[in-house]
Amino acid sequence: MAKRPSNAAWTEAHVRRLLWRAGFGATPEEAKRWTAAGKGATLDRLLDSRSKKLVGPTPRVEGRALDPGNEWGHDVLWWLDRMVRSQRPLDEKLTLFWHDHFATTDQETPLMLRQNQLLRSRGLGRFPDLLRGVTTDWAMQLFLSLTDSTKEAPNENFARELMELFTLGGGYTERDVREAARALTGFEGTWGDSGLKRIRYNPQRHDSGVKRILGKRGRFDWNDVLDLVVAHPRHAPFLVSKLWGFFVAEPPAKAKVKALARVYRGSGLKIKPVVRAILADPALYADLNGPGMVKAPIVFVAGSLRTTGRGVDTDAWVWLMDGMGQLLFRPPSVAGWDWGPAWMSSNTMRTRFQAANYFAQLPGITVPEGGGNP
Amino acid sequence: MRAKRPFAAGLLALALLAPAAASTQAGPLRDTAVGVGEREYTLTPYRRTAPRGIVRFNVTNFGEDGHDLTVIGPDGRQVARSPEIKAGARYALRVKLKRPGVYRLVCTIADHSARGMQAKVRVTRR
Repeated sequence: MAKRPSNAAWTEAHVRRLLWRAGFGATPEEAKRWTAAGKGATLDRLLDSRSKKLVGPTPRVEGRALDPGNEWGHDVLWWLDRMVRSQRPLDEKLTLFWHDHFATTDQETPLMLRQNQLLRSRGLGRFPDLLRGVTTDWAMQLFLSLTDSTKEAPNENFARELMELFTLGGGYTERDVREAARALTGFEGTWGDSGLKRIRYNPQRHDSGVKRILGKRGRFDWNDVLDLVVAHPRHAPFLVSKLWGFFVAEPPAKAKVKALARVYRGSGLKIKPVVRAILADPALYADLNGPGMVKAPIVFVAGSLRTTGRGVDTDAWVWLMDGMGQLLFRPPSVAGWDWGPAWMSSNTMRTRFQAANYFAQLPGITVPEGGGNP
Repeated sequence: MRAKRPFAAGLLALALLAPAAASTQAGPLRDTAVGVGEREYTLTPYRRTAPRGIVRFNVTNFGEDGHDLTVIGPDGRQVARSPEIKAGARYALRVKLKRPGVYRLVCTIADHSARGMQAKVRVTRR
């Protein structure tokens, strides 16, 4: 059993740091409550809460309920609302991480919303289950041309990103990509008179020949490819390093990567134990009085709404976040967004100030001295 | 090759701020939004039924070519037509659909309709 974290140094500054990094900020009341509860209880609450409640004002725009599938920008507002009102903020933060990791764009809104639910429901579970879900997800299938990739004309898009961006980051060859693309053939889209009807696996379209992928030889299919990439020695260090970088400003030391990879492998490729280890790590709480990470636009907006108790009541957030460089459901490419200092161009910062003005116009909003959060 | 398509993100802001194109005047009728995705060569309405009244077709062109959205009534007559919507752009086509029945949505550019860019939306009494 994991050792219980010590409460020796657990202050409101620690709580604020944790809740901004693992969620979308802490209200003064939350900071007090979780300081008193201690580090272990705070981590348990973040990682294990089952509450599905959304607490706070129901979102309305121009007096109407959100219609995320049909009104432009309401998909963005729908997710923003979850970030603002969810009692499981880490779920939403991890969904954001996976949305960037498995970046998908330019697909039909209902498909993107469905993918979003998949990322949320499997975001802290076993990575292979998440990867299987993403591989068969319709938005991803269409985005990276996995649908209708056939034995006669295998498309390499998904195979390449599977190795480069999703699981390994290197350590594979062009031949591995080509052979994996052959193994991934067989998904077939059926189109009706109102768009896509379904995507299913059709063995007749699959290349059942022998392939050689990452040093292994066999008549591999798509399931086998996913098993091969997550079993590769590069996978665990790649994934835990990326997760670390999402939460902690300083890059991990080699020993830390090894330790986290051990946690990951030892748990059977579960994401939650790795995230718990990162959130408990002293490195997350380094330099509590100094800003170590640039808040992503969505974190800035959701956190400001959450900590001021304001709900989603205007669609202005959509164009403001777009102007700040991060429009949900529309990452700029399959590689996702550039994070960190990339959010701080002169144009995007100008829009961030505009957004701050929106908050400052709220009645009763005051910023206490030293009230900024790192 | 990486899948990477430009998205005219700024247009979203414009679309949210600009008044929607109106082919008829708004009245006390119900106002229903129907998202529509277009690309080569599919046309996908995100809602298959709408109550009679004002229907706003919020069209996004995800494709690489220009497309339009034309609404054809149950009697086969054209009810409304958007201008050509460029690749990556959006357009709101606001139409009063008072008569219940099945309306066809098509792209009338070149042979796009014959190649698959057509769909149906049922307008109900309530």
